[in-house]
Amino acid sequence: MKILVVLRMIPDSAGELELTSDGRGIDREWLDFQLNDFDDHALEEAILLKEASGATVVAVAIGEGSNRVLQMAVARGADEAIALDAQADGMIDSRAIAGSIVALARSKAADLVLCGVQSTEDLFGQLVPYAGALLGWPHVSGSSRLGIEGSALRVTQERGGGIAATYEIALPAVIGVQTASKAPRYVSGSKLREASKTTIGKARFEPAGFERSAEIVALRLPGQRGTGEHLGDNPENVAERLAGILAAKGFAGV
Amino acid sequence: MSETPVLWIVTLAAIALTVWRSRRYIVALAQAPGANRFDQPWRRLEGVAIAIGLHRKLLRKPLSGILHALIFVSFFVLFTVTIEAFGSRLFPGFSLAPIGGDSWIALLQDLFAVLMLAGLGLAVYQRYVLKPARFKGSSGADAAIIYVLILLIVSSLLIEAGARIVGGADGSWRPVASLVADLLRVLDLPAHPAERIAYWIHIGAILAFLVYIPGSKHRHMFLAAPNIYFRNLEPAGTAPAVPSERENPGVASLVQFDWKQQLDLLSCTECGRCQAVCPAYASGLPLSPKMLITDMRDALANEASGPLVGGVIAEETLWACTTCRACMEACPVEIEHLPKIIDMRRHLVDEGHVSPMLQDALSNLTRLGNSMGKPSKMRARWTKELGFPVKDARSEPVDVLWFVGDYASYDPRVQDVTRKVAELLTAAGVDFGILFDAERNSGNDVRRAGEEGLFETLAQSNIDAIRACSFNRIVTTDPHSLNALKNDYRHFGGEFEVLHYTALLAELVAAGRLDIGPADGATVTYHDPCYLGRYNGGFDAPRDLIRAAGYTLHDMPRCRENSFCCGAGGGRIWQGDDGVKERPSENRIREALGLGVGIFVVACPKDKVMYTAATDALGVASSLRILDVAELINLREASSA
Repeated sequence: MKILVVLRMIPDSAGELELTSDGRGIDREWLDFQLNDFDDHALEEAILLKEASGATVVAVAIGEGSNRVLQMAVARGADEAIALDAQADGMIDSRAIAGSIVALARSKAADLVLCGVQSTEDLFGQLVPYAGALLGWPHVSGSSRLGIEGSALRVTQERGGGIAATYEIALPAVIGVQTASKAPRYVSGSKLREASKTTIGKARFEPAGFERSAEIVALRLPGQRGTGEHLGDNPENVAERLAGILAAKGFAGV
Repeated sequence: MSETPVLWIVTLAAIALTVWRSRRYIVALAQAPGANRFDQPWRRLEGVAIAIGLHRKLLRKPLSGILHALIFVSFFVLFTVTIEAFGSRLFPGFSLAPIGGDSWIALLQDLFAVLMLAGLGLAVYQRYVLKPARFKGSSGADAAIIYVLILLIVSSLLIEAGARIVGGADGSWRPVASLVADLLRVLDLPAHPAERIAYWIHIGAILAFLVYIPGSKHRHMFLAAPNIYFRNLEPAGTAPAVPSERENPGVASLVQFDWKQQLDLLSCTECGRCQAVCPAYASGLPLSPKMLITDMRDALANEASGPLVGGVIAEETLWACTTCRACMEACPVEIEHLPKIIDMRRHLVDEGHVSPMLQDALSNLTRLGNSMGKPSKMRARWTKELGFPVKDARSEPVDVLWFVGDYASYDPRVQDVTRKVAELLTAAGVDFGILFDAERNSGNDVRRAGEEGLFETLAQSNIDAIRACSFNRIVTTDPHSLNALKNDYRHFGGEFEVLHYTALLAELVAAGRLDIGPADGATVTYHDPCYLGRYNGGFDAPRDLIRAAGYTLHDMPRCRENSFCCGAGGGRIWQGDDGVKERPSENRIREALGLGVGIFVVACPKDKVMYTAATDALGVASSLRILDVAELINLREASSA
């Protein structure tokens, strides 16, 4: 069995986001990028499947810092690492990258494509259905456990409210992983250093063949809503100012 | 049958039995990987002379030290009795008489027999009446057996000598044996049989002791001196490098430890001084440095003891250590606990066995170079609120390169202190700069948490960044960074002159470059950070600064080398408090509260965080303020402004 895992690099949300001058994108120049958390789980699930039933894992990464994450994937057990040369500097648009993922799934003869159920740049989880539709393969999103049963794949899907459904689907398939069966493992620095010697393959961007469906007109940073006011530490001043505010708002007749 | 062949047979049999009982240890040491501990013989001998000859560490506990000295010296004097007892029968005609065996040696033997009994009495008093907690977990049987054997050996030699006097020998050099002789006369015991019985009791007890030694802590009689001789002469702050011949970074079984690490196990006297000073043990965590050693020692003798890491030594035990080094400082026979713990942690990390919190911290360090998960770009944000720009050492030459460290850079509880240090340096006219976002965590605690590969990455990154700058000296805020830069980076070719900011400030004060408006002499106490004090000897600079700032210092009972760790070191700050009954930081604050001082002075960013949290948790934040040394210093210019 061959598993293709998609690893997307997204802006580190701990950083300070700034908009580009045209107000239609995030200024990426000063941002740190990190692996999309759900994709980290997809990678772990792929490695767990490999350990349980034997498989070859091909990791494909998209975005700034791909090489570092691909080395980490190899250190964790991936057999092949490919950096996908997506459009430079933009957000990772699922509609746009689906074509490249599909082309790789075909050229690598993958039986299973795993990716994170969503990312901060794909909040509605469109990559999985796009890739599934283009390949003509069944797809399920929101998995919390995967297992191989004979020639079929058992997929447990979180449905909320404590309910989970288990599907048995024929391979090949595309799965959007919400959580891996086990938390992503820690990979030690010495293994990372060892993995830094692996050669990383390259893949070209392949158009998905979709027309552009929409344009971003404007982005806005979260607005300042109803901020609090610090009245200071001195009890007398605080009391005085509080009384003043209450009076101004008409709560107290002073 | 003559006594000579009987004694030969019994003695040779006892020696053979002793060797047979030691066979596992001998084989283990012979097969162990090598360790380079043969250099600097004079320095090594000097250490042995101080440790054993002067009982330097033993006498830190006066009662134990004195009783050990009594037994130790008496043992050597009474060994002449043993030589005579065996020599005279194994080689008929042998006698010490020509060199004074019947005169001054006899007198010494008599007196030291009494001193030996006095030492024995003190030992019994200590162990069964005082019952120090450090003996918890030590073998009680081992102690009891040696008391009985010493009593037998000493009383039999006195009775033997007494019986000889009854039989007509000269008793003028043997005042004590003469008293015993009087007693024997009163009891009307026949002299010759009594002498022979006492002789054989003496011989029997000595041989029994010999046979007993290999399986007991009394091995230290033979192994303490070599173990001290082969002690580590590297700086205390250098963590052991991973030997190049080792396949994986860590150690998963006892046989992978080099011969010195294994000799440590056999040398342990179970005195428990390490246990008594261990912050992890005091907090109720499942780590006693003594039991760590004795459990490994017992596993060395027992092939069926199962896996080392996660079996003989539990994972929780290894993670409990703060690497404060108090155990090694206290050990009278120079056992090296930390290299063992670090090597076993390396194995756990390599296997991916880390707790979720530690995994988060290490992942952040891998990704961003700091444990907090903050962007590198925000590392120098604390400089924004300064009234002056800070030089970028990457783009212009500086005299002092300031390595700020994670907590001092990112933690809002410490940033004020960092700014205060910057202001003091500026006021003193120091030409300094920082690395901005090129600085990474120094890796000190990463290395001690067993993450050697990540440590190498961090160290290499910092060394590259530092080498690209033009500077004369490095100063660090964090004692942990100080230690890594000064001691660990040598393993990667990074040799720098590094000093702690307290040393630099003390230097500036001494040179009159800081115009201090002294405080009114209020009494404060000071906490020695492990990595500044015990590791790097930085005891005096912070104290000089406290006095220069106009305060009176009242040290806590546990200070300087004996300082008690805050509980944050060695990666503990990245782990939970599960199983902790009393946090080490709170234990320490209680100690300070006993002094009745109002200010608890620190010199480490992690201490500021740990002790602020501890005073909050204990509800004493208003009566005991946690201030950094830098915060005590009040500049005249600034105060008048």
